[in-house]
Amino acid sequence: MMDVGRHPKIELLTYSEIENVTGYIGNFHVNVRKKARYVDEDACTACEKCAEVCPVVAFDEHQLGLASRKAIYIPFPQSVPASYLINMEDCLGTNPIACGKCLEVCDPKCIDYDEKDSIIELDVGVIIVATGMDVIDPTVLDEYHYTEFENVMTSWEFEILTGPGYVTGSELLRPTDRKVPKSIGFIQCVGSRDDKRGHPYCSNICCMNTVKDTLYLKEHYPDMECYVYYMDIRTFGKQYEDLYKRSKEMGVRYIRGIPGDVEEDPETKNVIVAVENTTTGKLEHHELDMLVLSVGVEPRVETADIQKILTLSKAPDGFLAESHYQLNPIDSPTGGIFLAGCCESPKDVKGSVTQASGAAARAERLLSQRRVKVEAITSEIDPDLCTSCGICVKVCPYKAIRIEKKKAPAEVIEAACKGCGTCAAECKFGAITMKHFTDDQILSMIDAMLEEKPEEKICTFACNWCSYAGADLAGLSRIQYPPNARIIRTMCSGRVDEKFIWYAFQKGAPVVLVSGCHFVDCHYIDANRWTQKRIEKIWDKLEQKGIRPERLQLEWCSAAEAKRWQSIMRAAENLRKTVSKQEIEETIRILSNGDKPKTKAKAEAKGKKKPKVTAASSE
Amino acid sequence: MAEEAKFKCLRCGHEYTDTYTPGVPQERTCPKCTSNSVRRMKEK
Ligand SMILES: [Zn+2]
Repeated sequence: MMDVGRHPKIELLTYSEIENVTGYIGNFHVNVRKKARYVDEDACTACEKCAEVCPVVAFDEHQLGLASRKAIYIPFPQSVPASYLINMEDCLGTNPIACGKCLEVCDPKCIDYDEKDSIIELDVGVIIVATGMDVIDPTVLDEYHYTEFENVMTSWEFEILTGPGYVTGSELLRPTDRKVPKSIGFIQCVGSRDDKRGHPYCSNICCMNTVKDTLYLKEHYPDMECYVYYMDIRTFGKQYEDLYKRSKEMGVRYIRGIPGDVEEDPETKNVIVAVENTTTGKLEHHELDMLVLSVGVEPRVETADIQKILTLSKAPDGFLAESHYQLNPIDSPTGGIFLAGCCESPKDVKGSVTQASGAAARAERLLSQRRVKVEAITSEIDPDLCTSCGICVKVCPYKAIRIEKKKAPAEVIEAACKGCGTCAAECKFGAITMKHFTDDQILSMIDAMLEEKPEEKICTFACNWCSYAGADLAGLSRIQYPPNARIIRTMCSGRVDEKFIWYAFQKGAPVVLVSGCHFVDCHYIDANRWTQKRIEKIWDKLEQKGIRPERLQLEWCSAAEAKRWQSIMRAAENLRKTVSKQEIEETIRILSNGDKPKTKAKAEAKGKKKPKVTAASSE
Repeated sequence: MAEEAKFKCLRCGHEYTDTYTPGVPQERTCPKCTSNSVRRMKEK
């Protein structure tokens, strides 16, 4: 942090928040709110005189309330810049008559109670998100009486107690009697690996953090009894197993079993732990001076805001999703934005440094090239047909479409467009062409598919990344599915325009299946949510027209789910068998009687270019 | 705010009740046959 602070080419904006980000890869515009510190950080010499005279005693957030701070304070010892700031919620001094003591003693006169937040505007080419994580709040899972027993604490609080120069000086002292504890227990996986409470995932860092803590304790207090209660100890990293072994050799007792009951001795305030040692099958009771809950980690509460500001994607565990978890683990789905550290998943220092170095290298490569290669699959807007309705702007997951002035036609930012095609599917005016997946191309495929014996075909749309790959895997794995399935590949299920579905029914399709990635896997952030919305609307319309809605099926299937693909296609085939020739003919009759599509009518009325596509009904 | 809604699977016909938040799309899976062709039944 100090090196970063001193680096001539790095501008460090601390005590600041990103307010808004616009633009795209290579051309981001960022608004940063630099909060008022009320102390000139360049002039402050950190002489401490202000804090000495400040009469306010407040909760020290950095030390989790195990110590107090003044209203004017340095957030933590290694803060960069090493200068004071005032927390105005605690300070009495906005009215100098009330206090103003810090101002009186400040020799460099660097305190300004009237300072205001400032907005800094930056133009940047790339953005690296490294917003970190939070620690699980154990008060919500209180079977270990964390909120009741003073000698029960979290691993984070333990870190504060044992940190150099912190709360209790050079010794570890237990909270109730300020004596060095003779015995300590650690309970692992608190809030992690639990489907019902806390989080189902492994928090990755807690095992090794405990191993490290026990080594510290045994080195400083060789006679201290240490117990670790665990389900599994996960020492996956380089040399981690050696540390674990060393900890055991130093006398730390690792007990496989999570305590079921924790009590407190009302006199001594010792914590009594009952645990079934699953290795021996025996119930053990341990009286401990202190109990540490090895709490897991979770996404920061601000993750949703960051996701929204930067158009990022969230994984089911709530951490920010990478572009591809194996092949592109540093890039976010939005071009020019990279992820580093625990905002992406729980990881230790080494993992964070590795990912951050990778992110820096990815950023540098892009910046030094000063140009970016984009896929040819991008959308194109016909300004003559565009009515500036703004729907494309709304549905684009990448903010790659803009309308600069009111009533001006929409424009595609090609560098930001990833080619999902949702805009083309949602445009009611046929103004958007998805290159390589044009309406004409797809409608021609439907024509070819249903040219002969349409009643025997299952008209299927599959997204490139998941369901098409799932179908491919089924084929490669010799997993058989009905051979009358005809698949049209689109980059994203978001591309499946309503008119394709109507056209297929109009051409005699007994069943239309739209398939895409599961929500969490969507390669276009959230484009497949629009697919679902669209299908739900079409189900209603089908019902209104007297066509069975179930003839339009929607399925999510990942690239690994070949078996699922098989069962989807078998179910579709079973459904197809229920659709008689008469029913198909009736559908064709209903749809050919339907209204003319608005797209065509509107363009004709305006005497403008005719959209090339006709659909049965897309009111 | 989440509210209760009736859903029908368009593959197997199974009907069930689940929570639903207007405007918040959610991946739905039929608890009986795992199909995603799950339609929210609106009050008529
Ligand atoms: Zn079902």
